[in-house]
Amino acid sequence: MSSGFRSMHPTVAIVYYAGLVLFAALLFHPVYLMTELIGVLGLLLLQGQGKTLLRGLPFYLLMAGSVAVLNPFFSHRGSNILFYFMDQPVTLEAILYGLMMMLVLLTILIVFVSYNYTVTTDKFMYLFSSVAPKSALLTLMSLRFVPLFQRRLRQITEIQRTRGIDTSKGSVRKRMKDGMTLLKVLLTWSLEEALQTADSMKARGYGVSKRSSYANYKMDRQDIFVLVMLVVSGLIPLLGWLQGYGTMQIYPRLKPLEYTWQEAVVYASFCLFVLIPSGLEGKEKWIWRSSQRTGYPSAIPMKPGTRFMSSRSR
Amino acid sequence: MARFRFPVLIALAVFIVALALTAALKDSHYILLSLVLLGAALFPLFAGLERRPIESRELVLLAVLSAVAAVSRIPFAALPSVKPVSAIVILSAYVFGAEAGFIIGAVAALVSNIYFGQGPWTPWQMFCWGMIGLTAGWLRGTWWMRKRTGMLIFGFVWGFLFGWIMNIWYLISLPDAFSWKLVVSAYIASFYFDLAHAVSNVVFLSLLAGGWIKVLERFRKKYGLLQKE
Repeated sequence: MSSGFRSMHPTVAIVYYAGLVLFAALLFHPVYLMTELIGVLGLLLLQGQGKTLLRGLPFYLLMAGSVAVLNPFFSHRGSNILFYFMDQPVTLEAILYGLMMMLVLLTILIVFVSYNYTVTTDKFMYLFSSVAPKSALLTLMSLRFVPLFQRRLRQITEIQRTRGIDTSKGSVRKRMKDGMTLLKVLLTWSLEEALQTADSMKARGYGVSKRSSYANYKMDRQDIFVLVMLVVSGLIPLLGWLQGYGTMQIYPRLKPLEYTWQEAVVYASFCLFVLIPSGLEGKEKWIWRSSQRTGYPSAIPMKPGTRFMSSRSR
Repeated sequence: MARFRFPVLIALAVFIVALALTAALKDSHYILLSLVLLGAALFPLFAGLERRPIESRELVLLAVLSAVAAVSRIPFAALPSVKPVSAIVILSAYVFGAEAGFIIGAVAALVSNIYFGQGPWTPWQMFCWGMIGLTAGWLRGTWWMRKRTGMLIFGFVWGFLFGWIMNIWYLISLPDAFSWKLVVSAYIASFYFDLAHAVSNVVFLSLLAGGWIKVLERFRKKYGLLQKE
């Protein structure tokens, strides 16, 4: 079931995730990075993706954690030397820098977990079909072929087994050869059939005129509102970053973080950007819960439905 | 909206490039710049596909080969570096040329990652497999690519190159610690994975080469696909 942020227009989602990756790569500041990480984790949990996250987490932690470990041993810049390791100075700055880089990587990896859930393939294709119609059609076709070919390969395996071509019996050499025979049958069959598809496409007039694209997503008022909110709240930290806010200087010498009111404005705007989808998701959860409670009549006469109920792209 | 799409896209691209350059110069922060450079490397070939009048038969052929490459990755998912994708991309490029090889490699990476999970590595894999196809297509006329052993060596070398290029996206997050010592240790750590990829390339190529080249060439002749001018 899609609800909340997931049922919004694809443009909104892509702007949000592009913004998150951009900020993770630009804003080199522990507070900002932690905010983004916590915001995305919160969004994932609200979307009910805790399990998916847990499955990938060891790998992400290992990958990001190794950066934090490696940096101090290979980078010797910085003025606060903590101790010597094999005659090489290990500096406080290098450790902090490694930790920051770990945060950056971890944030980007976890943003992609949420992206994989929210921006499904059809939405991604919808966004690209108007910009690059041929590449999008090509990708979409080969995407559709993947499950088809898997099914076909199973059929071929069953049929060829009656001829003694079986990848589960015999010596390694024979099994590999048999596997390649199966793949070759798959290739010939699929190519032959796909070229018929192509001829039928041509007979229906593919490539005669400019390709139109069918849009099954409509921007409604909430989509536009959220999009404008995201763009405005995203531009402020970007402009702030160009002015030098939202970054922390570690090398050559650690500089203490400064707090000014300009920084506060930039940070507040950044928080708004990160938390808008979680807010939407939370709002839907809350409305859904309160609509369940029939025993306690609400004071509001007309209960607003969730977006899932009113959305037209079902 | 459609009228403004291209100007808006170009403006966005310029904006992101400027941001990436500023980040790289100001904070020596290269993650964004690397993504921009990859985008710049992938763009011209996909733009070429968009601009050139293409037969629907050719489009479908590219889709089938990318899908076969993507499917071939699934049974080997448990083994980290054994990917028949590279071998299939090399063979397709050998028959259908550099541009087709690039598209097949890049699309196979994109499509198989829809099943394996997208991440910051997707553009890198698209680039690597695309480049495998492109170079195999460029070299298909040379005498040593025509020899079976030459092709096997080509596959072996690309098994290592693939791993080395993929290491970059990891090394880039350590801009300050960057030194030859770090590079060497990262490449030593990945040596067995790269070796596994290189050896599996050789195995797959030696098993597939004869039969597949024959099948693909027959299709090229029969349907007049992507002929050399």
